[in-house]
Amino acid sequence: MRGHFPLKMAVGATAIMLLAAGCSGGGDDAGDEAFVVSIGIGEPQHLIPSNTTESNGAEVLAALYTPLVDFDANNNPVLVAAESIESPDNKVWTIKLKDGYTFHNGEKVTADNYINAWNHAAYGPNGMGGSYFFARIQGYDELNPKDPDGEDGPQKPPTPPTNKLSGLAKVDDLTFTVTLKEPFSGWRSVMGYTVFYPLPNAAWASDGVLKEDFEQAPIGNGPFKIKGKWEHDSKIEVEKYDAYPGEKPKIDGVLYKIYQDQQAQYADLSSGALDIVTQIPIENLASAPTDLGDRFKTSPNSVFQFVGFPTFLEQYSKVEVRKAISMAINRKEITDSIFRGSQTPATSFVSPAVAGYRENSCGEACTYDPAKAKAMYEAAGGPKQIKITYNVDGGHKAWVDATCNQLKTNLGVDCVGVGEPKFADLLTKVEKKEDVGLIRMGWLMDYPLMENYLGPLYGTGGSSNYYGYSNPEFDNLVKQGSAAKTPEEAIKIWQQAEDILARDMPVIPLRHGQNVFGHSERVKNVEVDKYTKVELLKLEPAS
Amino acid sequence: MSNVESVTQAEAPAADPAAAGAGGSEKPRSLAGDAWNDLKRNWIFWAASVLVVLVVMMAAFPGLFTSADPEYCSLSRQHAGPSGGAIFGYNFQGCDVYARTIYGARNSVLIGLFATIISGAIGLIIGMAAGYFGGWVDALLARGIDIVLGIPTLLAAIVLARRLSDSEDSGFWPVVITLGVLTWTTGARIMRSSVISAKSQDYVAAARMLGAGHARLMFRHILPNAAAPFVVVLTLLLGANIATEATLTFLGVGLRGNAISWGIDISTAAPYVREAAAPLVWPSVFLAATVLAFIMLGDAIRDAFDPRLR
Amino acid sequence: MLDSQRTWEMFRYFVRRVLQGVLTFFGATFIVYALMFANQTDPLQTLAGERPLPENVRQALTERYHLDDPFIVQYGHYMRGLLTGDFGISLTNRSIKEMMEQAWPVTVRLALLAIVIAVLISVTSGIISGIRRGGPFDTVTLIITLILLALPIVVLAPLAQLFFGVQLKWFPATAGADPGVYQLLLPAAVLATLVMATEIRVTRASVAENLRSDYVRTARAKGLSKRRVIGVHVLRNSLIPVITLIGLDLGNLMAGAIVTEGVFNIPGVGFNLFRGIRTEDGPLVVGFVSILVIVFIVVNLVVDLLYAVLDPRIRYE
Repeated sequence: MRGHFPLKMAVGATAIMLLAAGCSGGGDDAGDEAFVVSIGIGEPQHLIPSNTTESNGAEVLAALYTPLVDFDANNNPVLVAAESIESPDNKVWTIKLKDGYTFHNGEKVTADNYINAWNHAAYGPNGMGGSYFFARIQGYDELNPKDPDGEDGPQKPPTPPTNKLSGLAKVDDLTFTVTLKEPFSGWRSVMGYTVFYPLPNAAWASDGVLKEDFEQAPIGNGPFKIKGKWEHDSKIEVEKYDAYPGEKPKIDGVLYKIYQDQQAQYADLSSGALDIVTQIPIENLASAPTDLGDRFKTSPNSVFQFVGFPTFLEQYSKVEVRKAISMAINRKEITDSIFRGSQTPATSFVSPAVAGYRENSCGEACTYDPAKAKAMYEAAGGPKQIKITYNVDGGHKAWVDATCNQLKTNLGVDCVGVGEPKFADLLTKVEKKEDVGLIRMGWLMDYPLMENYLGPLYGTGGSSNYYGYSNPEFDNLVKQGSAAKTPEEAIKIWQQAEDILARDMPVIPLRHGQNVFGHSERVKNVEVDKYTKVELLKLEPAS
Repeated sequence: MSNVESVTQAEAPAADPAAAGAGGSEKPRSLAGDAWNDLKRNWIFWAASVLVVLVVMMAAFPGLFTSADPEYCSLSRQHAGPSGGAIFGYNFQGCDVYARTIYGARNSVLIGLFATIISGAIGLIIGMAAGYFGGWVDALLARGIDIVLGIPTLLAAIVLARRLSDSEDSGFWPVVITLGVLTWTTGARIMRSSVISAKSQDYVAAARMLGAGHARLMFRHILPNAAAPFVVVLTLLLGANIATEATLTFLGVGLRGNAISWGIDISTAAPYVREAAAPLVWPSVFLAATVLAFIMLGDAIRDAFDPRLR
Repeated sequence: MLDSQRTWEMFRYFVRRVLQGVLTFFGATFIVYALMFANQTDPLQTLAGERPLPENVRQALTERYHLDDPFIVQYGHYMRGLLTGDFGISLTNRSIKEMMEQAWPVTVRLALLAIVIAVLISVTSGIISGIRRGGPFDTVTLIITLILLALPIVVLAPLAQLFFGVQLKWFPATAGADPGVYQLLLPAAVLATLVMATEIRVTRASVAENLRSDYVRTARAKGLSKRRVIGVHVLRNSLIPVITLIGLDLGNLMAGAIVTEGVFNIPGVGFNLFRGIRTEDGPLVVGFVSILVIVFIVVNLVVDLLYAVLDPRIRYE
């Protein structure tokens, strides 16, 4: 065919041209002009901290805001904007702020900025996407009254009697207290999440009402301030904030270029028009190490991919059937061949990104053993046909097909991957209790605690427990762990809870995610953290 | 044929010696008989027919061409080169590319054919009626065409295919109907404009004066003279339909489950073209050859039936 | 026929078509609104992605976007706003008017460039291969046409980007939000291939057709040169179906723009439509489609008027 020979030549030529482009790029920046790094992102949904629960918005807000706590390499919280965070009983927490922090408009950061922002976030009628993070604080229920006749009923829920959380109290300008409904030893870590950023007085149109256009140019307390406005579907620019008291960035600014398509980001990176791509699409993984050389990197993140067994499906009710399917999946082959090593096989129910993770806590059930799997499957009378339902807009077809092919070969059953247009369609079918078979799931943590996996994914009524797993013993242990005196004690109890999962096998752990990223020759010290964000303070010009 | 056309024929220079020879003979002839005489001597017609028959055989009896199972795939053979029966090598999932290409013919060709038949029928009737009757019929139908054109195809396809399909079947008929119902507008517009221009030709006026009815005017006099661009659009639409099926399937509203088609395989292989070109090239070649065969066949038949050619 | 009489005829025709256009506009927007409504499963959950949507958030959003009103009420609300120039707010809380002001100019540039490229190439090569049917040029054109036809645009666009953008570096790999003609050349060429195959084949067919027609024979018999016969008579008559196609191609171009704009990172109409469909964002989709319908109506009216210029025998009834 026409394309074959020129293709090889072109690949060789690229390498040469990339080198050339890199050299000239370096030369351009020798002068005194500002050193701005361009990073590819998708269009953020929102730039109000309490409404930002997706990674694009969180990436931009991380430049504009400074959190109370950040995390070290071992996921232990490190104080940043907070001077101290103490609690005698894990119920009433006293937060003392560092002096000297200012918002980008010059306002001093005070306790009120936190209290006002959190009250607004928790107030039900505001409809903030991250409001459930505040549910542990006393007074949250008053701000979110239940609809008297259910969601579909004609009556509207009553207006809350107050718009202030009773659990938040100001002590002095730099100190405030948070009272939780129940003791929780991990609260310090929770407050590291995006939704807990403070908002300046300038953000408010009136008490508890945000200015309409605040998110078009958010004012934060972080190392960078916004330059101009959020140019939708195009770019967001930030520049160094000179009055920042904390660790100073080594670059002058960041240009977040907005892309609709990850492969377009990669095309720009390879042609030298973009500095950093945080997630290289798997289609490009085979060529990326050659294209980028040592500028192709990986780092662990907290993404956990698995499939769940809906409890309403009779044919999967036997634990032996669930275990046999799990044992018939060759995880390593899939992570190597489909994901080109960009993900790693999962053999536990939480991510390695959290303290308390144990390798292979799933044990034999997650070990590939096709012969034993088949014997076990047949003995337990597993179904003749297995279905895996997934959403087609997330690039899942390749691994679902590969998994099905393995199940066909190893269990001698028929297996189909059923694609639904969107995740919401998948949920609709699960709600209607249709025969969806195994359902594809993924989870990216909000704060680095085992509880952030155990509670939402496996707890009775957990927010993402769509398959309906319920075990009172498990729920109890998760609760006990949350109330434990120290994080170490908590982890011990949570691990016992995880052991129950290994016994019950409500889901099949498949893969842990990794950041697979690349950068241009203009920058060095590029690192991407467990939340898939670029570590801006470490970025440096290459020369 | 009408008198007017015999005059035209008499005046026509002998464009094709074979046709002129046939015209010289004395026995009574029909349009179809003429056309067949023409086609018999046309090698393009035969080549195209052989290809079409081959593809249809592939669609009907894939087992004749390969004994391999297109659904038996193993990652251990990912992008492996040709070996044994797998003369085209293996794809990303480690499936036999040759076997998949053969088995893919069924869905691709049948979807393309059925969808084109549906949209051809709708386009012919609506375009013809609008162009021939003119006036308020034209206004009404043309507005109908405009409305369908104004709706983004993709939006309508997603909604339609979702409404039509339930998760248990393969999704074949929903795709056919969706494509057929949404792609007739081009044909209809072309038909309408050709009919308008053919209608104003002198021989039609003459035939009308001689008392020919609407049906006779439309199908005997105007259609043969207006069909050329329409047939071309249809043969191209066939190829486009085969490709569009792939897009629908990719959006999760096309073929379901483990369905095999050229479109699916082409789109799946495309991102990995730098690693392995064969899984992209072979289904594309088969698709192109099929479309080519239909185009050639269409051209040959059209030429044979075109009265002005002899 | 008298000139003034023909002008009057054309004027009446024009007025009638504009009035019909208004009907088309309402018909199409109504159907699109109905389609969006029928397609709706749970737009709010779609916004939230894979995360659960807390009940309080759901309540607040449902109220803000009138999602619990019946369909016809929503449509009424919407059309009233539209007719007063208020396109409303998208589900992502952005002014749809602002989104359109950003998206339309870049897509119009892209589409015009694509049409120019497509017409230049297809009319030229269609005429040459129509005149020399079966010749080497005709065969080569046919093969290239087939390759373009066999490769869906989801394949073609990334390949073009890879070869001409990333590897050969003839063009920038992506175009961005405010591209110039040079940045748009590659995506426009990719887009043009979508409609080129049909245009080449149709031009070729009608050239061949016209070459055999009476008037060409007459003209030749009168002793006109072949060049003049082709240049004036055949070309003019062969352009009629091609011009029809250009009007129709807008639809194809929009569908293709969805893919092309994604690959080359152009935040235009195609991209916004696709996002709107995916996120079930009714107001956004209907807003863009309303303008799209107006464009269709105007372009097709112009096409129909052009017939008159090219073929005086066509009457306006």
